[in-house]
Amino acid sequence: MSEVMKKEEKSLPTFRPVTDILEREDGFYIYMDLPGVAKDDLVIDLQEDDLAVSGKTSYPSPENERYSEMQFGNGEYHRSVSLSDIVDREKIRANLKNGVLELFLPRVEKTQPKRIEITSG
Amino acid sequence: MVLDFNTLYSPFDRFDKLFEEFLRPGMAGQRSMAYPPLNLSQDDQNIYVRAEIPGVDMGGIDLTLTDKTLVLKGERKAEEGKYYRQERPAGVFHRVINLNIPVRRDKVNATMKDGLLTVTLPKAEEVKPRTISIDVK
Repeated sequence: MSEVMKKEEKSLPTFRPVTDILEREDGFYIYMDLPGVAKDDLVIDLQEDDLAVSGKTSYPSPENERYSEMQFGNGEYHRSVSLSDIVDREKIRANLKNGVLELFLPRVEKTQPKRIEITSG
Repeated sequence: MVLDFNTLYSPFDRFDKLFEEFLRPGMAGQRSMAYPPLNLSQDDQNIYVRAEIPGVDMGGIDLTLTDKTLVLKGERKAEEGKYYRQERPAGVFHRVINLNIPVRRDKVNATMKDGLLTVTLPKAEEVKPRTISIDVK
């Protein structure tokens, strides 16, 4: 256990950002808490059914500051979400505001059910 | 029955674990603690209070400076919709930070960027370190 932790300490710790997934009339919304991640440090990749979000915080740590309490620090965020077929991949929108990433995943336009004509003879 | 102290009862491991848990920064969310997570630091000029409060803008945060404390209040609102998964905390938060150093109340400054709140409290003149020059005759 200790060895694993020591390995982590060498590089930045990795977090799974807390995520809300919800549905509204126009589609699905995903909210991820990514405090400290600037827009340029955030990467969103869509590969087939997998939507991967990763980001890095860049808090400055001035050397002359003495810490008396430290409950958060720099780290990397990684999380991926599987998309179902009803999501329109071309129209996914992402917006980062106040450290929260909002992903809007619209539904595919409903395809009209098609009646199949049966011929006899 | 033989009590096996080696495997069942190992006080040193427990202690070690506790320490590692505490010394690892950035474990907010994974560790149950008061919300929001805070970093407190100071240099010669200022005291810095930093908090990770994503999704709340400056207007949604209420900062009150009393004689010896800084009170941080606000609310994280849940989004509307049919939830499939809800992990993000929602609700009212309230933290009190003890300041044991007098600060210049009129010069306190707070900023919010990418969900990080930074409150800068300049130390009062009388507690700032001062270099006293000694004249050698």
